[in-house]
Amino acid sequence: MKYLLLLNNDRRAVDSWRDLSPDEAAALRAEEMPRWNTLFGWIGEQGIEVDGLELEEPNKARVVRVRDGETLVSDGPFAETKEQLGGYFLADCKDLDQAIELAQRVPLVGTGSVEIRPLVE
Amino acid sequence: MKVLALIYGDESAWESLSDEDRQGVYARYRAFGEQADGKVANGAEIAPTSAATTVRVRDGETQVTDGPAVELDEPLGGFYLLEVGSLDEAAEVAAHIPGAASGAVELRAASEEEAP
Repeated sequence: MKYLLLLNNDRRAVDSWRDLSPDEAAALRAEEMPRWNTLFGWIGEQGIEVDGLELEEPNKARVVRVRDGETLVSDGPFAETKEQLGGYFLADCKDLDQAIELAQRVPLVGTGSVEIRPLVE
Repeated sequence: MKVLALIYGDESAWESLSDEDRQGVYARYRAFGEQADGKVANGAEIAPTSAATTVRVRDGETQVTDGPAVELDEPLGGFYLLEVGSLDEAAEVAAHIPGAASGAVELRAASEEEAP
């Protein structure tokens, strides 16, 4: 069963990253890396096929709508929300329980959230 | 560059469609896929928010709730992963996604940092 896992950051965390210098951002990233590596190790042990990407911050998003044949493009995310999408996993899990197991091991789940969405196959 | 195109739309409108109308929508998505050939790396329809589960961990405790992380009038219903030269090109491609005409398509570029 394939699941889309939406990795949501707390908005305050995203805002605070914006003020970091490149060096500070790199240091924060290096600090978080072992936790992500632990997750990837677990994923490997479980034999779960996972694909995913980290996304540019929501401020750099664009929204496209077509109304009456006209294309309207606006800057910024689709919705201004307390939690903001920062990346995703596409995971082929045995069942929802395994997807939840995976979700609770994602480092940002302690401050943000992971939304699990089954795909229509 | 890789760009995630998130398709948002009214779920109840979709659920109220007849089978025939749904087949029509699927046909338009297939036509989009053929037309955007080479620029679509992946994509899928997502089950309705009633099938969503959200996980949070607070103070070491795992909280599992039914439903999406955030309730939206037009929730996420599908996605494409686009392989394009720029965000402008992604917007041109996204304008042909059928969902752009009824809901909205949010474009999020992949971070240039190596994925975590």
